[in-house]
Amino acid sequence: MTQADHQLISPERVAAGQEKVGRVVGALRRVILGKEQTIDEVVAALLARGHVLLEGLPGLGKTELVKALSRLLSLDFRRIQFTPDLLPTDITGSHILQERDGRKDFVFHPGPVFTNVLLADEINRASPKTQAALLEAMQEHRVTAFGETRPLPDPFFVLATQNPIELEGTYPLPEAQLDRFMFKVDIAGVERSVLEEILATRVHGEPPPLEPVLSASDLHDLFALVDAVHLPRAVANYVARLVAASHPASAEAPEAVRTFVKHGCSPRAAIAIGAAARGLALLRGKPHVGFDEVRRVAPPAMAHRMVLDYAARLDAWDGRRVVSALLDAIPEIERGLPQTLEAR
Amino acid sequence: MHTMPESVQPALRRLARRLALGLFLDIWPAWAVGGLLAAALVALVCRLFVPAASPALPWLWLTPVLALLPAIIIYVRRAYRPAEVVAVADWLNGGQGTLLALLETNDASWSNSALAERASTFTLPRLRPWRRLAALPPALVFMATALWIPQRMPRETNAILAEEIAGNLTATVNELKQQQLITPEEEKTLEEEIERIRKSAEERVDASSWEAADSLRDKLAADVAGKQDAIKWAEETLARYAAAAEGGPGADDAAAAPGAELMKALEQLAKRGMLAGASDDLQRLAAGGKLPADAASLRNLMASLAKHLADANGRMAGVGKLGKAAGRFDPSQFPLESGESGVDGDGNPGRGGINRGRGDAELTWGKESLPLDRFKSHALPPGAARSPDDWAPVVELPGAPRESPAASVASAARQYTAAAGQRAWRRSLAPRHQSAVKKYFDK
Repeated sequence: MTQADHQLISPERVAAGQEKVGRVVGALRRVILGKEQTIDEVVAALLARGHVLLEGLPGLGKTELVKALSRLLSLDFRRIQFTPDLLPTDITGSHILQERDGRKDFVFHPGPVFTNVLLADEINRASPKTQAALLEAMQEHRVTAFGETRPLPDPFFVLATQNPIELEGTYPLPEAQLDRFMFKVDIAGVERSVLEEILATRVHGEPPPLEPVLSASDLHDLFALVDAVHLPRAVANYVARLVAASHPASAEAPEAVRTFVKHGCSPRAAIAIGAAARGLALLRGKPHVGFDEVRRVAPPAMAHRMVLDYAARLDAWDGRRVVSALLDAIPEIERGLPQTLEAR
Repeated sequence: MHTMPESVQPALRRLARRLALGLFLDIWPAWAVGGLLAAALVALVCRLFVPAASPALPWLWLTPVLALLPAIIIYVRRAYRPAEVVAVADWLNGGQGTLLALLETNDASWSNSALAERASTFTLPRLRPWRRLAALPPALVFMATALWIPQRMPRETNAILAEEIAGNLTATVNELKQQQLITPEEEKTLEEEIERIRKSAEERVDASSWEAADSLRDKLAADVAGKQDAIKWAEETLARYAAAAEGGPGADDAAAAPGAELMKALEQLAKRGMLAGASDDLQRLAAGGKLPADAASLRNLMASLAKHLADANGRMAGVGKLGKAAGRFDPSQFPLESGESGVDGDGNPGRGGINRGRGDAELTWGKESLPLDRFKSHALPPGAARSPDDWAPVVELPGAPRESPAASVASAARQYTAAAGQRAWRRSLAPRHQSAVKKYFDK
């Protein structure tokens, strides 16, 4: 298929898709006040069928956001509160010996992972062994137990939360696990005006009641629409250069990457950026991706995928800051202006 | 780019032109500056070492124009493609991606949308030509400076100088030959000598080359002077013989001594080649013949000899300065070696300058030199005579002074005074000493 064979989504379809997404976003913004950027990121990841890791201090609405999302999408929703004694089978399910008609047989009892939206609350409190139970489910949307592989419902999202400050008794997610999250969204604190709004509108802090705004078929239509969003070659080139430059050995890597990054982003990061940028473009009512969408989704898609050196911690550099430096260093277009021209 | 919506195309065309101009200004100044610097270096080298290239140097101003050729080739190879122009336009428009998508999909459904309209409203980049052209003025100044430097003419080569030295000498010899004042043998010897001087000068031109030439010229002058003396002696002896022969009774006895002297004078003339054009009688007489006994033959012979001597004197007068106008050794043409003082003194002997040779040190009366330098050896300057041939021989007198018993003491004293003066002036000196002597006596 050549480039000329590509067709942009018609304006009507884009408008319809944007309206549907807008319903979800609008409802979420009524639930979670002052978190427009976070909501956009989560919805973009959702449209790209990616998993999201929400990291933030307690009480900032992480769990409430996921719960609201599941209610709005009229999808099956399960929640797992990760604890240190949680076992893998508590997630995937297990075979239980049961007696039927005088025969004893092992019957598979599916775990909470068999759902559309899985809230893995405080995922870093479970042991790495338990965390690893989600690896296959997140990447391949299936679960293997006792030699039997079972597919997960479609769609399947993992929305995990973790607390960045309570390190006692926690197990940081391994890199392989982190790489499976499309986004790691940092939930920042709220502003004074937002707090005032919360106090004024919510007596006990309860969110307003929500009704599903999208059916499962609507969601699948949106997925198809997102897949049809056009990604120009120049933008794809920008994504590729960004991800390549995240490796310290790359010739284009900026000084911050060379100094603080031990391992750069995997190709999965480039795929995640492309997919999330498509979702964000649809959210903005565009039939195509632009450089702006890439710049918007690159930090949550890349920051958690880079393995930083100890020097980064000593100099208070985190993944977001490194990605910011990366975005500043890598020009959007591979061939820019001549030196005798200056953009106004 | 022509597939883009018409509302976008004018802006894209303007951007394409601006990018083309910017790209050209990125490439050409570098080549022009490089070419100018290289041309300036070439001009500098030519100004210093290649005088023949001097007329062509102004053409080097065309270097910036010639730099257009590689600049255009590179420009064509690096020219912005339509997709790159569109990418730049999209980037200038905030990175919305609309132009890129329209270019790749050629989708007409979005051509008139608000997105496409917004995409066509980007601002053209500002032109900053001096970022690259700033290096051009210094390069132009360098080029102008290189061309402004006066052409340095190299010193004449040894061959040219040797040819000049030998040419002057040859002209002198030719002059003598034309006046029949030298014999073929002498001419051959002189030509060999001139050739030797020429070859020596070709190897190394220094003061000794001119000194050798001056020495040869002095030798020629001495030869001519000797011939003049011989002619004069012959005239005098002829006059004395004629006076004795016409003396009446007893004249034969009285003419015996002048006759013998006349014969010697004729021998001397023959020896110096001055009888080459003389009559057969004179030739025979010089070859050992005897003076005729009868008065008529003797008169004819004397008339013939007088005429020949008069002709010879006339030719002598035509010789002139014997090529001395060609220039003699001038010490000022040979600067002192490094470390030597350039002070030429006041020109008086013993007061520095050339009269003291190269020792220009001040007279310190007892503190002539430091102890360490006292026995330090010093190389003599060039210019010393290299062979005995460089020295002109003392004038050969035609004969020993003869005292005449009949002459009075006063006349003897007068004769001596005249001869002594001639002898003193014709004494040869080393050429390098001549100017010192001349200065001394001129003062």
